[in-house]
Amino acid sequence: MHFKRNTVREQIKNPNIMIIIPPYLKAGDTIGIVCPAGVMPYEKAHTAITVLQEWGFMTKTGSTLNGQYHYFSGTDEERLNDFQKMMDDDSVKAILCARGGYGVGRIIDQINFKNFKTNPKWIVGFSDITILHSHIFSKYRIASMHAPMAAAFNNGEYKNNYVQSLHKSLLGEKMNYSCKSHVFNHSGSVTGRLVGGNLSLLAHLQGTVSEIKTKNKILFIEDVGEYIYNIDRMMRQLKRGGKLDNLAGLIIGGFTQMRDTDIPFGQTVEEVIRDVIHEYDYPVCFNFPVSHEKENYTLKVGLKYKLTVGKTRVELLEKEG
Amino acid sequence: MNRKHFISSIVPLGVSISPVSQLIKKAGLKTGELEILSPKIPKYLQPGATIGITCPSGYISVEDIQPAILKLQSWGFASTVGKTIGARDFSFAGDDELRTLDLQQMLDDDGIDAILFARGGYGAVRIIDRLDFTKFIKNPKWLVGFSDATVFHAHLNRNFGIASIHSKMCNSFPEDWTKAEPSQIDSIDSIRKCLVGDQMEYTAIPNENNRTGKAEGILIGGNLSILQNLAGTQSDINTAGKILFVEEVEEYLYNVDRMLWNLNRSGKLEKLQGLILGGFTKLKPDDPGEEFGRTIYEMVTRIVKDCAYPVCFDFPVGHQKNNYALKCGMKHKLSVNLNGCILKETR
Repeated sequence: MHFKRNTVREQIKNPNIMIIIPPYLKAGDTIGIVCPAGVMPYEKAHTAITVLQEWGFMTKTGSTLNGQYHYFSGTDEERLNDFQKMMDDDSVKAILCARGGYGVGRIIDQINFKNFKTNPKWIVGFSDITILHSHIFSKYRIASMHAPMAAAFNNGEYKNNYVQSLHKSLLGEKMNYSCKSHVFNHSGSVTGRLVGGNLSLLAHLQGTVSEIKTKNKILFIEDVGEYIYNIDRMMRQLKRGGKLDNLAGLIIGGFTQMRDTDIPFGQTVEEVIRDVIHEYDYPVCFNFPVSHEKENYTLKVGLKYKLTVGKTRVELLEKEG
Repeated sequence: MNRKHFISSIVPLGVSISPVSQLIKKAGLKTGELEILSPKIPKYLQPGATIGITCPSGYISVEDIQPAILKLQSWGFASTVGKTIGARDFSFAGDDELRTLDLQQMLDDDGIDAILFARGGYGAVRIIDRLDFTKFIKNPKWLVGFSDATVFHAHLNRNFGIASIHSKMCNSFPEDWTKAEPSQIDSIDSIRKCLVGDQMEYTAIPNENNRTGKAEGILIGGNLSILQNLAGTQSDINTAGKILFVEEVEEYLYNVDRMLWNLNRSGKLEKLQGLILGGFTKLKPDDPGEEFGRTIYEMVTRIVKDCAYPVCFDFPVGHQKNNYALKCGMKHKLSVNLNGCILKETR
């Protein structure tokens, strides 16, 4: 098949593509908790911190947790310094971003990745954190975790499979996920590295140094609270930017709390996406449990997965390397 | 070094066009890369000229374009109404096929001297790659509109260096002119002036946040969301050496900030000659507890603090009554001082 041939050719051309996988955690390791974007009051992160400790990790909270400067958890300088400190602190083995919001794009170009490149650690989060995932993997080929953040632990939800998938992922367990098939799926089976995140952020990164590279990759996307017409517009931006042409596979996560204009757009968000990608023959699955809702499995950006889209089930299996 | 940057760095400001094109030929650049320096200007309109009205984006009724038709008539122009006017596919003025065909027919019809878009909305980006500009490039005509039509201004500038008019559209022509504000009437009349070839000049009131200075360059820009949506595509604008204008409507402040940062991160702000901010109107209220806490002025000032070019706020362009017709792709002089701002087309 076309995409398989591409994968092989790519590997022959670049036999030494190396992915850097940060060391997995063990009991006793320290997780740093920061807010590089929006405000997170300590109370709302309290459960997450307690649970991380129950899991056997130490926690170190940055100054931006519980901080506030208008909309942000601190000034650009404060958020940058807090994040930089955690990046450069060798005792911190992973950085959990307590929440998204908006703000990483204002500091990303000032972050110094020098120490991080030689001593990589897991960066954990989603939504606005998509910028970090995309930047780190596109520029440095370092893997990271697209995963639930602090608020997902609240109200007893830390017991659910989605938050638990973060625990297992941090410990280095190979993760296998599955979900029901959707009528719009394109069947097939493919292996490729996983990249992706929030659609709005991926669109906004296009044309910048942090933009996502999707060739021969399995791309996953999700979004929340957007207008349906704007999902259409952003999908077309990705398409016009060549980001959808040479995928190995495509995972459509949750597109939740969608809004419509006064004059209805006339299509569901699933129909919008179906129409944008109709000409591609790679495997596609809809409604995969990665989203701004509870259903949000931890995905390791940069790692190899096997995506199998079958008639009734979809499976995403983490592979070696 | 990027070839485009190379050219803009070796060509001093104010050099006339012909030696520059020789220079570019010597440098072996492709035609698509000439747009910075040699704008192609469509023919200005003579009395009796025909203006095609089409809608590549959102739905509009036949009634809603009547005030525009009457006005065009009073200017001495005939109009041809395309099939998309009154057509409807939910929010669109007909499906992608119809909107493509309607605009394509007008691009190719030698009997049509300019194309006025009926309204914006959403839809241009769905058809831009289906359009065939082969005939249009040989015999360019003015494309007139704004908002979603920013797609066309950017695409024409980036790919062909063809000038176009950023202005109000049919849906802004009032039914009752006696009730229209002078600035609205004036803005609509500026479309006529652009079309007949007047040398344009605009003024903006002083703003304490302005950064004073003088600039000269090709004018380019439009709606911020649309410029953002074109990033990384074949319609993406090159801004080096140019005067950029942006406007926005009905957005969250945080998202305006994000889009401005992205312009910066994609290198579109650092090599400007000048920056013009139009209206940022009907901005959406912040979510409670998530107040963004800064103004457009503060956002822009923060982002361009390391650049030296003039910056003008509150320029009369945007989703508002005073939205003057601007010639995208044409050379302008910008002068920002304590008395306000003057933007003047240069020849």
